[in-house]
Amino acid sequence: MPTVVVMDVSLSMTRPVSIEGSEEYQRKHLAAHGLTMLFEHMATNYKLEFTALVVFSSLWELMVPFTRDYNTLQEALSNMDDYDKTCLESALVGVCNIVQQEWGGAIPCQVVLVTDGCLGIGRGSLRHSLATHSQRSESNRFPLPFPFPSKLYIMCMANLEELQSTDSLDCLERLIDLNNGEGQIFTIDGPLCLKNVQSMFGKLIDLAYTPFHAVLKCGHLTADVQVFPRPEPFVIDEEIDPIPKVINTDLEIVGFIDIADISSPPVLSRHLVLPIALNKEGDEVGTGITDDNEDENSANQIAGKIPNFCVLLHGSLKVEGMVAIVQLGPEWHGMLYSQADSKKKSNLMMSLFEPGPEPLPWLGKMAQLGPISDAKENPYGEDDNKSPFPLQPKNKRSYAQNVTVWIKPSGLQTDVQKILRNARKLPEKTQTFYKELNRLRKAALAFGFLDLLKGVADMLERECTLLPDTAHPDAAFQLTHAAQQLKLASTGTSEYAGYDHNITPLQTDFSGSSAERM
Amino acid sequence: MKIFSESHKTVFVVDHCPYMAESCRQHVEFDMLVKNRTQGIIPLAPISKSLWTCSVESSMEYCRIMYDIFPFKKLVNFIVSDSGAHVLNSWTQEDQNLQELMAALAAVGPPNPRADPECCSILHGLVAAVETLCKITEYQHEARTLLMENAERVGNRGRIICITNAKSDSHVRMLEDCVQETIHEHNKLAANSDHLMQIQKCELVLIHTYPVGEDSLVSDRPKKELSPVLTSEVHSVRAGRHLATKLNILVQQHFDLASTTITNIPMKEEQHANTSANYDVELLHHKDAHVDFLKSGDNHLSGSSREGSFKETITLKWCTPRTNNIELHYCTGAYRISPVDVNSRPSSCLTNFLLNDPRYKIDGNLEIPLERAKDQLEKHTRYWPMIISQTTIFNMQAVVPLASVIVKESLTEEDVLNCQKTIYNLVDMERKNDPLPISTVGTRGKGPKRDEQYRIMWNELETLVRAHINNSEKHQRVLECLMACRSKPPEEEERKKRGRKREDKEDKSEKAVKDYEQEKSWQDSERLKGILERGKEELAEAEIIKDSPDSPEPPNKKPLVEMDETPPVEKSKGPVSLLSLWSNRINTANSRKHQEFAGRLNSVNNRAELYQHLKEENGMETTENGKASRQ
Repeated sequence: MPTVVVMDVSLSMTRPVSIEGSEEYQRKHLAAHGLTMLFEHMATNYKLEFTALVVFSSLWELMVPFTRDYNTLQEALSNMDDYDKTCLESALVGVCNIVQQEWGGAIPCQVVLVTDGCLGIGRGSLRHSLATHSQRSESNRFPLPFPFPSKLYIMCMANLEELQSTDSLDCLERLIDLNNGEGQIFTIDGPLCLKNVQSMFGKLIDLAYTPFHAVLKCGHLTADVQVFPRPEPFVIDEEIDPIPKVINTDLEIVGFIDIADISSPPVLSRHLVLPIALNKEGDEVGTGITDDNEDENSANQIAGKIPNFCVLLHGSLKVEGMVAIVQLGPEWHGMLYSQADSKKKSNLMMSLFEPGPEPLPWLGKMAQLGPISDAKENPYGEDDNKSPFPLQPKNKRSYAQNVTVWIKPSGLQTDVQKILRNARKLPEKTQTFYKELNRLRKAALAFGFLDLLKGVADMLERECTLLPDTAHPDAAFQLTHAAQQLKLASTGTSEYAGYDHNITPLQTDFSGSSAERM
Repeated sequence: MKIFSESHKTVFVVDHCPYMAESCRQHVEFDMLVKNRTQGIIPLAPISKSLWTCSVESSMEYCRIMYDIFPFKKLVNFIVSDSGAHVLNSWTQEDQNLQELMAALAAVGPPNPRADPECCSILHGLVAAVETLCKITEYQHEARTLLMENAERVGNRGRIICITNAKSDSHVRMLEDCVQETIHEHNKLAANSDHLMQIQKCELVLIHTYPVGEDSLVSDRPKKELSPVLTSEVHSVRAGRHLATKLNILVQQHFDLASTTITNIPMKEEQHANTSANYDVELLHHKDAHVDFLKSGDNHLSGSSREGSFKETITLKWCTPRTNNIELHYCTGAYRISPVDVNSRPSSCLTNFLLNDPRYKIDGNLEIPLERAKDQLEKHTRYWPMIISQTTIFNMQAVVPLASVIVKESLTEEDVLNCQKTIYNLVDMERKNDPLPISTVGTRGKGPKRDEQYRIMWNELETLVRAHINNSEKHQRVLECLMACRSKPPEEEERKKRGRKREDKEDKSEKAVKDYEQEKSWQDSERLKGILERGKEELAEAEIIKDSPDSPEPPNKKPLVEMDETPPVEKSKGPVSLLSLWSNRINTANSRKHQEFAGRLNSVNNRAELYQHLKEENGMETTENGKASRQ
């Protein structure tokens, strides 16, 4: 999940903080200190993630575009100038533009706003923005909620008492509300000092930037992995089941299935699965993936030499063209697969399905998937030339079952014409003629449209009179018989109008002497 | 949408009173003139649907779309009302399909225009609708059972769609009052029942329909709260296609649907098979499918759907899919669809194209299959070397028959026999001193010696088999066979030798005797191996010997003259080795199963001379090429 750090560089951030030491600090120094801590944490645990740095006062500027180079971000922190007043709305508009340009509207993004709680004055101040919020048109819409999935974390370089003495806190809370409640406000506990800023950023890290470590298991084979980005809790149904579900830290592979069978299923989120090497104390030594960075500690190289299940799994999935189904929790599954980054590089990835017993209808219930060897007959055939998937639904959908709809006249006309066309090709088309006739009969009975049965009966009788001399004698018999049966059905009496009753062709025999049976 | 929102339960109440038999006064031409017709034929007079037919087919269309997009958990109960209420189906999932409803409607038939209008009323149906809303569905029951003490969290909401011909606005108000009163009464009843649920919310949708050309006696009214439990809205709609359009709009509102039109789909022309034209097909689906579209700001919204219905549709251009289905694409959502115009030719062409997969179904097992799958993974991974160069047996074709079955939960007699055959074959390979595919990567020189290679191989095989001995008694038998046949590692022998020296002095326990015996056989086999080694070294090195048991023996092999020393070794010595015990047992067992070879019966010292007839014909040279029979 990319992060945008939005740093307030208005004059109020240069207010000095009284500190017991000799050095004099300004609030912006505290902010920089906290951000340094965040960047350091991310450089260790989130080194694949992209972060951008925006500074703002009455104007805003993208200081560092999205990057994985935390040194650049760090340097930018120490090169910030001081500007005029705070103008939050324009900065948030800026964030919208930056994120949408880089990531579009579907990638979740975290926004870390660092400010001192002085929200500006006059036009462009947050108070002004909020006061005019209800009078916005589509063209100057307030930037919140962000037009992408987001969390807004507001880091205040002020303590609670200070914020509460004005309406700052209320205004900031409104901001979170406007972002559909997605986000949180952090304030400094106690006096403003480096230690308390650290503890505030520590809380942010705990909430939003703790790496997700898990054990990937396949029978007796296991690997310690980091799942990146961290899978977020998911709420299935707010009414019945309001507790957010979190995924297990034991990710157990339950089986493998062909890519063609799972066929690009819908997923909640995608994650890299990175092997991590743990030393004896359980501390993380480093991720197993290679990195260009020269300074990378040798632990990576050591880890690279130890056989790792992730490598085996990734290679196997790639070669076999399969995905592994992984259990994420009770009635919750996902898949592990090889995703090509480029022609040369590919990664082991995990996607989460929607929780539930049957996330992918074409595979049926997850719990009913089992080993091929349990099937009486190999469902894939001896030559691997067929597949048990997709499963046929018990009730076919309307478009797969030839339903009759006569809402538009054309629907009715098509069905009548089909009968007529076949009537003219009797007796060759006897079977199709009666099939279409019975389809029309059933629908007319269900819709209580008995006039139609009478009308079609009249039509068939007329057809009978129009038969050319060359026509097979059977044609006349069948037409008369069909017309008579429809007329009987059109009376609606239960004897002839049974829904399950089918009109069957008249048994005739023109082959020999016993031609006349009527 | 919440699972138990109003959309969980929909009750259709359709008026079946005599006036519903009236014509909708919208004519349908059904006798269309087809070309090549004889001149002068007057087409049959057009017919028109009754109010009843219009109501029924529009409600069926509502259900069709709903069932297509929500095959589960969205339920319909169909009631027709005349002199009483006829409930055509239940909330159970089996009753939820079009065929059931159509059959039930056919059984009811059209309204009887000659029935006494005084006895007939829509009220019967509305009362029954409230009653049926109190009945618990299987999904509600399941959720309640699951939640136990939180059972009250399971909601009971529903919607009544009533299609009738009302007399006036005050008539409509009377119907609403009746529903409200009935809810009040039934909620009291439900409060004291385990099988019924109180109605928390009911949405009444009253549709007044009347023949085209008449003035409506009832006015439209938007949704209004009549009580905390009941809301009501009134739609006054002309019959015929107007009613169908109204229900189409309602199904979209009720189930949060949206429309997408796929444009420019190339299809072959019906009349001219060689030409193709482009068609558009409009589909309905849940509106979530459009969320990302709308967010991206790149909306392909086009205002006018055909038929001039109210809603907007997003247009997508058809793109013929590549048939490469081994690629995994990123997909954020998949949604069920229903074609707006289900049996139009373009719609059915599209759906048939999408449905053309061969389909198949697996029967469920008693045990949970997924648990069996986990169990199988557990067994298969008990011994699984991760690096090719760290395994010998999994690089050997000869081991496959054993390795592939030993991981099974249970073995058949045939499996055991195959495992034993595999082991004998390995013994044979060892005896022949066949090279093994042991990696020499990272080692200096030629790598381990041949006997060391076999020791590694046997150890690995033992590890594999031991990992499964608790599966069944038959697995145990495979291990027994393996232990009886495999050569013993020399270190072990060294240890035993040392141990024996001590034990010799102390006591002559049974164990010592056994050890001695084992060692004896070990020495024997060592000796045997040494002999074989010397005799075969050059030969083996020179030849490429495949490790497959199926590989044919190299032709013109030198007879293994040393072989004749083997049997006397076992016969002459007093104590019998486990190997020979085992081999004897197997041999005796096997010999019972077949007739002894004529050659073996006539052999001298276990050697039979082959091709004797050739000798008779050609003299003595061929004997040199004869091969000693083994076993």
